[in-house]
Amino acid sequence: MELYSWLIENKELLKTIYALVVLAICIIIVIKTDRLFRVSSHQGIRYFRNAFFFYGIAFVIRHFFGGINLTDHSVIYLLVVKSLFEFFMIMAGFFLLYSLIWKRFERARKSPDSSLFNLKLGVFYIMVILLVILDIIWASFIFMFISQILLFFYALLISFKNYQKDKGVHKFLKFYFVAMIFSLIGWTLNALAALYLNWNRGILINIYLINIAIFLLFLYGVIQVTRKNI
Amino acid sequence: MAKKRERLEVIRDILGSIRNNRKIKPTRLLYASNLSPQMFKDYIDELIKKSFIKLEIDEKEKKFFLLTKKGNDFLEEYRIVENFVENFGL
Repeated sequence: MELYSWLIENKELLKTIYALVVLAICIIIVIKTDRLFRVSSHQGIRYFRNAFFFYGIAFVIRHFFGGINLTDHSVIYLLVVKSLFEFFMIMAGFFLLYSLIWKRFERARKSPDSSLFNLKLGVFYIMVILLVILDIIWASFIFMFISQILLFFYALLISFKNYQKDKGVHKFLKFYFVAMIFSLIGWTLNALAALYLNWNRGILINIYLINIAIFLLFLYGVIQVTRKNI
Repeated sequence: MAKKRERLEVIRDILGSIRNNRKIKPTRLLYASNLSPQMFKDYIDELIKKSFIKLEIDEKEKKFFLLTKKGNDFLEEYRIVENFVENFGL
């Protein structure tokens, strides 16, 4: 109970540490995967890198531009921050999912020059912008939550299929599947906290812990797999 | 039917063939790469441009492909890339 009180009292400090940790993990993953992409020109690696690039931007916007004292900012400013945060967060999820399914839509030898702006991703951008607009109109996060729950449910199925097909040869496929389970739980708890529990602090702390675990899992995988002497 | 190789796999196979033979004649490399002559030429041009391989002509005017240090490093990096792609299901 004392720990819980301490966590509540130091909420803002912990949120800043949490954001810094996630940001540091994103930077490491982006740097490491960018090097792999430059060697290989592999589109899957490129989209995976973009996912963590967008997650990094989303966390910077949310935790450093969102500000501690929300009352210090104008409504327009807060609306812009919320919209940008949602845009990068949802888009990051789409990039992560697309990194798993890109082969169904693109041919490896005829990949687009840009992985940030191309016709196929244009569909995602339009969908994300629509979701952000709907959340602005409804003054909520509900469309972001629903989109992410559906997206991670799909990613969970794909990662489970990959894990089963692999039969335990590649160790990280199991962790990837676990990360997708955590992601789905995290987004579902987020939605419940927002819709029914009035952003309950206890639930939010658990969500932060789940998120940290997901990012650490990915960091572990990236470092482990990109080691020179495997 | 055998699965069509991806671009990276073709490059790995070409570089791997050269490394295994230390130096290799263009015709033998064409057979080893299992590509059409036009595609083989495209890949070779790209690999020479990227300095992964070099073409040498010996005193008998015979041509050979050799692997450069960059090409050898690429094969090592490729192993990591391949491992990454398979571990993350990309």
